Amino acid sequence: MTVMHPTMTDTEIVTAPNAREARQRHRRYLYRDGKIAYWLLLPAVVLLGIFVIWPAIYAAFLSFQDWSFYKAPEFVGWRNYINVLTDPLFWAAIGRGFVFVAMTVPPMLLLAFAFSSLVVAVSRRFASILKVSIYLPTIISTVITSIIFVIIYDYSGGLLNAFLGLFGIDPIAWLGDPKWALLAIAIPAVWLGMGLTSLIMVAAMIDIPTEYYEAAAMEGANWWQRTFFITIPQMKNIILYLLVTGFVAAIQQLDLPLVMTQGGPLDSTTLPNLFIFNHFTNDVNVGYSIAAALLLFVVLGTVSALIFKFVNSERLVD
Amino acid sequence: MATLAQQIAPARRRSKHSTAWWFYTIGKAIVGVVFVLAALFPLLWLFIAGFKSKTEVISTPFQFFPDVWKWQNYVQILGDPTFLVTMGWTFLGAVLFTVLALTVNSLAAYAFARLDFRFKRTLWVIVITTMFIPGMTILLTSFIVVTDLGMLDSLSVLVIPGAATAAMIFFIRQFYLSIPSSLEEAAMLDGCGRLRIFYFLFLPLSKPPFVVMGITAFLAYWNSYVWPILTITSPEKFVVQQYLATFRTGRGSSELGLLMAGSVLAAAPVIILFLIFQRQIIGNIKMAGLK
Repeated sequence: MTVMHPTMTDTEIVTAPNAREARQRHRRYLYRDGKIAYWLLLPAVVLLGIFVIWPAIYAAFLSFQDWSFYKAPEFVGWRNYINVLTDPLFWAAIGRGFVFVAMTVPPMLLLAFAFSSLVVAVSRRFASILKVSIYLPTIISTVITSIIFVIIYDYSGGLLNAFLGLFGIDPIAWLGDPKWALLAIAIPAVWLGMGLTSLIMVAAMIDIPTEYYEAAAMEGANWWQRTFFITIPQMKNIILYLLVTGFVAAIQQLDLPLVMTQGGPLDSTTLPNLFIFNHFTNDVNVGYSIAAALLLFVVLGTVSALIFKFVNSERLVD
Repeated sequence: MATLAQQIAPARRRSKHSTAWWFYTIGKAIVGVVFVLAALFPLLWLFIAGFKSKTEVISTPFQFFPDVWKWQNYVQILGDPTFLVTMGWTFLGAVLFTVLALTVNSLAAYAFARLDFRFKRTLWVIVITTMFIPGMTILLTSFIVVTDLGMLDSLSVLVIPGAATAAMIFFIRQFYLSIPSSLEEAAMLDGCGRLRIFYFLFLPLSKPPFVVMGITAFLAYWNSYVWPILTITSPEKFVVQQYLATFRTGRGSSELGLLMAGSVLAAAPVIILFLIFQRQIIGNIKMAGLK
């Protein structure tokens, strides 16, 4: 060791300038596009910086301030967060969000599953008609959707009550009755959201190797058995993905209640984002709304992570 | 295996006209028609309601079809200069937004996919992180920013702030990563610079992602409602969704036929756009969704 040591330093000394030069040359090669790359990135990064990153940092900052458009900000520590967390209306909105998720996501996944089973079973031409028609609602704006459904739900002259009347059911004030209003908003939400969910499911279902089904058919498995033992296990990841994205989208629903009911009657359709939005527009205490938005973001992230963890642990078992 | 499959195939063909086969096929057709109707019914209803008179849209007893199909609703709403101006400005804004978004994001995507530069990873992580910031969290502070920049109540406030998005950069970058680098190297040997490569090689190849992203951007602009109601205050600068929502609350049930006709016209551009490009949009959902 002692003999080798000087030799090593020796070689190092000899090669060092070359190595450094090589490294520099390498770096010059590695970053050879530096200048042009920055020019290409500039517009996107500047726009993201001004309209996304800065507002995010500013929001985090304002959530610790007592601030309004009329006075200078004043640092209040965690007070806004405490106000939000101790506000029963905030928790009621979050709870309502979960109810809304339960009303929209499971029916949507079940319908999408039925739909994609149908698509893979019919002729190509009929399949493409099905796909185009299921996706069409997705591109319609929530405002137009709201207008359509508000009129369908109309108490005395709406289509839905007229239809129920055929079965002798008394008219229901769908959007005026706190019992029904949330459900009445869930239906257009499913209508709007079905397209993407269904088509992602169709894509996943087509990817399942047909050999599995051929083998199962030879063993005499019927449709239900093939669905439960091949299709669903094979699609577990997609279903999980759709569950999480569906959850995040549904709990953040804002436009539909905003246009259809403005959160009423009796707050029965004040979903979390609408709760925050109403605070934004009515409340002078900006910090409160921003703290609520940040907290909602934390809640969403946590729940998504939990769902992932739960399903993944289940997957480890089998 | 092959023989088994061959044995099964004729067996299936022979049973083609059995009762069970008919039962199954008719069942599928019925379920399919139910799905199609459920998806299209609200739109069909909207379309029919556009031909109804003031009192027919909501009437007791309910009637699905109008007594007389009234073209007047369409004539009247198209004769309303406010509506035409609104549609025109919204269309112009949507086109500007789409072009700006595609330009800005594809340039960044090209840089991230193909170029080497210092802090590339750091910048990439920052850009991707912005994808996870919920719109609601930054809604108010974005509003403050555009107020400070003096952009309120103008076309720029609708077009510029949302133009750069991490999701679009990500999507186009994925596409650019799949272009073989040998093409690029050949061009470089011929003395092409980076910009020329982008313009003459990548842009012509970009049609598939540009169609999908362009339509997504156009739809997002055309259908947006919350951001416009915060930032656009003069009625003559309203976007079309704002116009419809205000129409509903403002004129109430007295002119519902007119509102329906206006909604049909407001939905028409996006429906036409979708029907033209449906193959690309539906084909790309697989790509955009997960992979």
